[in-house]
Amino acid sequence: MGGARLIVFGCLLCASAGAPVIAADRTVSVTIYNDDLALVQDRRDIDIKGGRQRIEFEDVSAQIRPETASLAAADISIVEQNFDFDLLTPAKLMEKAVGQEVTIVRVNPATGAETREQALVLATNRGVVLKIGQRIEVLRDDGLPVRVIFDKVPDNLRAHPTLSVTVIGGRAGTRPATLSYLTPGLGWRADYVALYSESDGKIDVQGWVTLTNSSGVTYDHAHTLLVAGSPTQVDGGARPNRFRAPQAAVMQQPGTESGGRERLGDYYLYPLAEPTTIANLQTKQVSFLDVHGVPAEHGYEFHNQWLGTSETPQSARTIYSFSTGAHAGLGDQLPAGILRFYMRDKHGDPQFIGESRIDHTPMGSTLSLATGDAFDVKVRAVVDKRTRLGNRDWQSDIRYELSNALPRPVTVKLLQEGLWGDSRITAESQKSTRRSADTAEWAVTVAANGKSTLTATFETRY
Amino acid sequence: MRWATWAWVLATAPAAADDIAASPPAELSVTVYRAPFRAAGSINLDGLAGFALVSEVRTVHLPAGLRRLRFEGVADGIEPASAIVTGLPPGVIEKNREGKLLSPSALIAAALGKPVTLLRTDRKTGKRQRLDGTLLSDAEGGVVFQTSEGIEALRCSGLAETFSFADVGGLAAKPTLSVLVRSAQASTRTVTLSYLARNFDWAADYVTTLSSDGKTMDLGAWVTLANGNGVGFPSARTQVVAGRVNRENGEVEPLDAGGPILAACWPRGSTSDIPAPAYLQFAGAESRDRMFKNSVAAAPSALQEVVVTAAQNVRQEQLGDLKLYRIPERTTVASRQSKQVRLMDRQRIPIARVYGADLAEDESAPQTPAHLLLRTLNSTANHLGLPLPSGHVAVFATSSGEKLLLHESDIQDRAVDEKVEIDLGDSPDVQVTVEKETATGPVRSQVHAMRVDIANAHRADIKFELRLQLRAGGRIMHADHPVGTKNGRPLFDLTIPANGSVTVRYQTEYPRS
Repeated sequence: MGGARLIVFGCLLCASAGAPVIAADRTVSVTIYNDDLALVQDRRDIDIKGGRQRIEFEDVSAQIRPETASLAAADISIVEQNFDFDLLTPAKLMEKAVGQEVTIVRVNPATGAETREQALVLATNRGVVLKIGQRIEVLRDDGLPVRVIFDKVPDNLRAHPTLSVTVIGGRAGTRPATLSYLTPGLGWRADYVALYSESDGKIDVQGWVTLTNSSGVTYDHAHTLLVAGSPTQVDGGARPNRFRAPQAAVMQQPGTESGGRERLGDYYLYPLAEPTTIANLQTKQVSFLDVHGVPAEHGYEFHNQWLGTSETPQSARTIYSFSTGAHAGLGDQLPAGILRFYMRDKHGDPQFIGESRIDHTPMGSTLSLATGDAFDVKVRAVVDKRTRLGNRDWQSDIRYELSNALPRPVTVKLLQEGLWGDSRITAESQKSTRRSADTAEWAVTVAANGKSTLTATFETRY
Repeated sequence: MRWATWAWVLATAPAAADDIAASPPAELSVTVYRAPFRAAGSINLDGLAGFALVSEVRTVHLPAGLRRLRFEGVADGIEPASAIVTGLPPGVIEKNREGKLLSPSALIAAALGKPVTLLRTDRKTGKRQRLDGTLLSDAEGGVVFQTSEGIEALRCSGLAETFSFADVGGLAAKPTLSVLVRSAQASTRTVTLSYLARNFDWAADYVTTLSSDGKTMDLGAWVTLANGNGVGFPSARTQVVAGRVNRENGEVEPLDAGGPILAACWPRGSTSDIPAPAYLQFAGAESRDRMFKNSVAAAPSALQEVVVTAAQNVRQEQLGDLKLYRIPERTTVASRQSKQVRLMDRQRIPIARVYGADLAEDESAPQTPAHLLLRTLNSTANHLGLPLPSGHVAVFATSSGEKLLLHESDIQDRAVDEKVEIDLGDSPDVQVTVEKETATGPVRSQVHAMRVDIANAHRADIKFELRLQLRAGGRIMHADHPVGTKNGRPLFDLTIPANGSVTVRYQTEYPRS
């Protein structure tokens, strides 16, 4: 396990009464949720002196939500908790030195000779005003080199935002304490690689969890647990996921199977097998799924809006569907992420053919994912005639022209959407199924290098 | 003020795995995909919105034990989540992409709390003083350090000061992908790394030349592909893919390319009127901005080079529902380069010149030039019959031996046996005038009597399509020319005689609403 070392420089930094104790010897556990949220549990041995004492945690996430921080250890009580975000910069150093003595070293530009003086900092408003002996001077107003040496760093100036906890320890002695807090800046999602084989209609799927850290610090040797789920966050943290809403229902049939994965309430848990270092700004991927030879279906889908008509034929969508069930499927529930499809070209090299976003998917579901547009399979919808039958009663004759430039027959799932209100199909050249009140569906077969035409007459009242 | 004590925790890295670098790529393959939202038109060299699949074959000498295997020199537009590594022994623990690159500010950040050497040089004598110290802070661009003399701020004294560092703090110069792997025994392996990278694009650029009689055209096309990455791909197998593929709007994890050491200071003497330099005023804000700017600034806006390779056609093959075009020879896709390869050359394609006008409503309109299209069918009989990927078309005509540009337009993906229309723009020689002669209603229904005059100043007969768009429920009651339909809309197919004109009269009827 990675230890931590304590470095103290210079005697001016040595302990005085009530000095902060820096925690050592740590174990870090990080639980990462989907929506840019993580629970960090930082366990380390702390030397409790007995009595009032301040403990500093310098290497907490820079984005820590300090109101969620809590320190737990045996036999201590917490007085207060502070999160200092006043950062140590030259300007702040000078600002905090107002009314204090500093050492200035003048360097003779001609000879390099140094002259040391003590100076009192009077003001730092748009220029540093010093009192040297009985004289008042503006620092470096003549542009000549002057070094300013401070003997201390002020109390609450830090290189990093720092959490400090003031405790009263019951009994003295070293004991383990756990600091836990929530922080944004850590997140994870799944990334899938699916290699589709056209000859036998099967896919190989690999799943990776992708961890990202922009929280500003590195978590060394952290025990990492990923939770597939997004707990409700009330303030600030909750962010609606812009990319979440899928355009079409990709989950055709929600699954009802249970896998062997660990669960927490309704969330699935994905623990990483070994502790890992999550560096700041790092993207880390760990494998969690590797399945071969799952049957997959390749199909086409075309959605037409109500009265949608086009001058030129529009490409049908390429659809791949497969099951996540134990039988003839991936046999696992899938955390939300992006599934990238690949296919081998004539030379046998895998080529990318499109990607699709999936939501958290229970085991046993049927997924139907669009990877892009088919170059050779096109549909043109044409409203041939609109006839008024009554006051609010219309008849619409719609023709769908399908074409296929592939040397094999294809079946296109044609969906006419927007059948709102009391609408019915009074005539059609091929039997439709009503997928829902609003959508009619036909499975139209188009011969190799051929064309098909489907006509339907709709009667709508509104 | 009460001064408190100060100390530092320095977490040591966990038993670090030894680093091994994979060999440079021995075998490269680049497949370029065009910008998913661009249905037609050329690429935009200032913002390449497409992407590429890059595959590299590298050799790795992998000793036994836990090792971190580095892949250096991957494209800077890499989407780390898409990386696939094959050929490694079982025991791959994780793969990582570090987002921090080696830069002056990153060096300072990496050296925080660690010993460094301060170098102070006398400007007159050149004598150099070396002082051991510790870096205390780099917050908001200002650097504070400590030596045995006390605490000072870098470059606030007016002396020539800088640091020298013991090491680079494990930072890499270029985006680097690494794999943590534990292998039971030493082995030498051939490893394939594939990933998607942004900042590529391609399009087809067609040039069509009309024959002097205007009845046929020659069609040639280039594949124009561009790489806006700072990394080149020497002697790579190169492919482009036509067709629209789905891309999710995933955000790419940012790279921190760092910046210079800002050394922001305390306010300097200001009894004079000289304004403080801007970087002193906004040093903090700027350093934050810089991080985001630099994360995208890896690609300068202008590409440097345009290379046209020898006229050897690409080979097309089917890839699922997409079309893949393979450049027959290996070629170098250099960094920030646009490259052209011949896509096709077809001669004497019969074309129909079709003039037309769309009347969207029953309203009078003054003279408007007719629209001219070149129409053909993408069939073998027409010397075509091959998939035409989307792109840009420039139409030329030959006039007394000189080539003249007639029009430029865009073309969408066209499959075999699909109708192909090339826009030729407006034709001032064919003018259309629309007049609403009478309007009645709305007692039972509305009836509009319309008159359309089409005047032809050409020395030849022309074909003309007059396309109407009626409101819902509307119909043509009566017309003095035969009415057809196209795409569910009424259409008059007319022939306008040379230097003559044709007048069409029709009445439209709409039910009372």
